[in-house]
Amino acid sequence: MADQPRTLMTLTINGQVVQAAKGTMLVDAAAAVGIEIPIFCYEPRLGAPIGACRMCLVEVEGMRGLQTACSTPVAPDMVVSTDSEVAAEAQDGVLELLLANHPLDCPVCDKGGECPLQDRTFRFGPGETRTLEPKMHFPKPLDLSPLVALDRERCIACFRCVRFSQDVAEDGHLTFQERGDHIEIATASGDPYEGRFTGNTIDLCPVGALTSNPYRFVSRPWEITNTPSVCAGCAMGCNIEITTRDNEVKRLTGRPEPNMAVEEGWICDRGRWGYPALRGDDRLPGAVLVDGVGRRSVPLERALGVAADMLIPHEARVGILLGEVVTVETGFLAMELGDRVGAAPAMVRRMGIPGDGLGLMRALPGAQMDDLDHADLVLVLGGDPCSQQPVAELRIRKARRRGVPVVVVGPRPTALDASCEVVRTAPGQMTDAVVAIREHLDGTRRAIVLWDEADLAAEPGAAEEIARAMAVTEGARAIEMCADVSGPGLRALGISADADLLEAIEAGGIDVLVTISADPTAGPAGDRWAAALDGVGTIIEMASYRSGLTDRAALVLPLLTPLEEEGVLVSMAGRAQRLRPGAREAAGAAAAWEVLIGITHRLGRPVPDRTPAQAFARLAARHAPFAGMDYGTLDREGAVIAAAVATPDPRRPEAGGEGLVIVPCTPVFGDATAHRSDALASVREPTHVGLAPVEAQRLGVRTDSRVRITTPHGEAVLPLRVDSRLHEGAAYLVMGDPAVRAMHLLPVDRGPVRANVTAVAREDVVT
Amino acid sequence: MTADEIEEYLAPMRHEYADPRSLILPALRYAQGEAGWLPPASMSAVAEATGFTEAYVESVASFYDRCYLEPVGRRVLNVCVTLSCMLRGSDEIFDHIADYLGLDGEGTTGDGMFTLQRVQCIGACDRAPCLQVDSGEQVGPLEPADATCLIDDLRDLPAPERYER
Ligand code: SF4
Ligand code: SF4
Ligand code: FES
Repeated sequence: MADQPRTLMTLTINGQVVQAAKGTMLVDAAAAVGIEIPIFCYEPRLGAPIGACRMCLVEVEGMRGLQTACSTPVAPDMVVSTDSEVAAEAQDGVLELLLANHPLDCPVCDKGGECPLQDRTFRFGPGETRTLEPKMHFPKPLDLSPLVALDRERCIACFRCVRFSQDVAEDGHLTFQERGDHIEIATASGDPYEGRFTGNTIDLCPVGALTSNPYRFVSRPWEITNTPSVCAGCAMGCNIEITTRDNEVKRLTGRPEPNMAVEEGWICDRGRWGYPALRGDDRLPGAVLVDGVGRRSVPLERALGVAADMLIPHEARVGILLGEVVTVETGFLAMELGDRVGAAPAMVRRMGIPGDGLGLMRALPGAQMDDLDHADLVLVLGGDPCSQQPVAELRIRKARRRGVPVVVVGPRPTALDASCEVVRTAPGQMTDAVVAIREHLDGTRRAIVLWDEADLAAEPGAAEEIARAMAVTEGARAIEMCADVSGPGLRALGISADADLLEAIEAGGIDVLVTISADPTAGPAGDRWAAALDGVGTIIEMASYRSGLTDRAALVLPLLTPLEEEGVLVSMAGRAQRLRPGAREAAGAAAAWEVLIGITHRLGRPVPDRTPAQAFARLAARHAPFAGMDYGTLDREGAVIAAAVATPDPRRPEAGGEGLVIVPCTPVFGDATAHRSDALASVREPTHVGLAPVEAQRLGVRTDSRVRITTPHGEAVLPLRVDSRLHEGAAYLVMGDPAVRAMHLLPVDRGPVRANVTAVAREDVVT
Repeated sequence: MTADEIEEYLAPMRHEYADPRSLILPALRYAQGEAGWLPPASMSAVAEATGFTEAYVESVASFYDRCYLEPVGRRVLNVCVTLSCMLRGSDEIFDHIADYLGLDGEGTTGDGMFTLQRVQCIGACDRAPCLQVDSGEQVGPLEPADATCLIDDLRDLPAPERYER
């Protein structure tokens, strides 16, 4: 599928001479020279045009009748008229028919003011109606799901939503039922249209037929501002648009001008409907100080001074711990702060996977998500992109539809299994698949391997073998499916994982610990952390939400969230992209960069930056992966950071001992935001343990039984789900609900671990 | 009707259809032959035999008036109401039949013997007004009295072994 040289063709549109590449549809050739041909059904991201709505009729000299510009490719010397009397009359007529049964209830329609049907009717339509007959009426709105509302009267049967469901998400749910003026969007079963991507149908719908239930009647287009930003829900880094009204985030949508190298305009439902979390009960509204007087609120300004005082003593040994979702500016400014406090430079660490044994994988040439389209093999290695980086699933499916063979290797069942080749491995035994992987790679020239950071870090031996196999495969490239949103950015700054910080704390080597959006007591080896923190004199917590640290901290500084702050996140494909603030909902909170800069000022050793843009420019000058970047170069599509340099890594021991191997699963639909956002109540995934039927039988437990799961690092009692797709000999630990501890069962490096799982008798369940 | 039976029926014609979607219609028609309509189980069998989702199969079935998603009578009386038939009195024929069967417009008789429905052009304009029994005989031009006789004759026939609809 090497890209063909583009043959240019010359044609005339409305008297203008136009050049367009062979295969271009007339509608795009016209748009390129600023001529708008009205469309509804045409959407190249959904596949080949289907010519369903007839809106795009134009006159082409020498061709009988009118042509649909969306599905007529350019030809040499074509003479096209989009605004001749005949074309205009046809467009007029199509609109008249589309509106024949349309309720024209724009004043009460959420789409009103940002509706292609409305806009095109004004531009190309008849201007007045001749329809005297009564219109069709249907009950409305219908809930297609708790999240998506359907108004059948407004639907113009353009097929966009159905094509998304059938051909992009490939969930097969949405279809048309009946026909003509009774045509109806529905799921065959009558079940709700639920899935990971349903909200995209709302973005696609060119009328107000599909609308967002949580956004219903919330605002009108002239009251809102839309800010382009990036979703911080997972490492995929989808480009989004934040809709704000009255300083509140009211809606998130896919970006109307998509980033074709990342998400292609799609976002997942967790990304779309996570924003109500901003107003969750556990949001920290203001700074809190605990001292001799007691526990009290203090103004943020004052709190920054207090923080500086806590950090100033020259003998203090300081640790700074960064969480899983912080910007690179925050990481950089944390290091700057670390250089300015205490006896020696502070230990600045990130919560995350150390990455021993991953050096070779990381040194492989990287790829972008749109490279998948032109690959000759896509290999998914471990993890589960469908649940952990959902939009990656859509990109993989697209590649498969284009004929790229897709092979999924690993211990987890995934939503891709039904349509791709699957190499199922026993948990912790990816090595068994190395031969198969080599065979698949053999002879490829444009293979792309999507590999899971957590799974391969737990199997450094397999990682190295696979990396070697890839290194000798011509053209093979890799994309790391990172476990943490901040992982790639902070690693590029040289910030390493937190295991040695914990050891230092345990050895009594840290007097002041600053956490930034990080609660290690809820993370891997949480119990060990909790015990170690008893020995830390002062904890300063910077966070957006209450956590297990909030009651221990001497000072709590409230932070804004990624939807409210400016900064840069680096996606799993290494793309540095800009966050732009949509709102500032917690009035007493500040962005982490503001807080960090503020503290350096109060220390009397200020950093020179006043804005995140300046901080970024300075970090780009100092850290090679970001060389040459600034906010300008990142403006719309971001830029790819330079690959990391391979470092020889020490190997880590494999999981020994007895019991079931833990397979850690972190679906985004089960994460803290999904649990905080009430909009996602119907689709969120509870924290639980998954077992294969044989294991469940052995224990005498069933789905919804509670099981006690014990590892050397801790214990938890969790609900059980029995699933025949799971591997025996393993406990699939699905985590993320901030109210249910489970991550603490893992070792601090999130390495392999075995668990003892036992049934819980009803009477010992303490809740 | 099982998916295997449908697959067996489709096997000899598979090569005739370049696009496998085109197999859904003959499969539906075949499945409908068993009970005269398409219970959900038949729809799943068609989905399995053709390799499409049930949702897709149902969307195809719901497009066609003559795929029945609800039970219908032993015989379906299709009264054409398109232009030629309408001009030649199909409304009158329809009302007469409905009266005779004790139906209030379209519907199925209580004894499950007949379903009466209006259909669009059946390609028998030369015999307008025309009625078609299931997908078989087209009877026309009809006088109201002819319709009554036809119905009496049909009532005496045994149930067909396979329904052709
Ligand atoms: S609901 Fe919207 S997207 Fe779907 S067919 Fe109707 S108009 Fe098109
Ligand atoms: S895939 Fe990840 S980045 Fe994209 S919208 Fe979903 S949660 Fe956000
Ligand atoms: S846009 Fe061309 S037919 Fe719909």
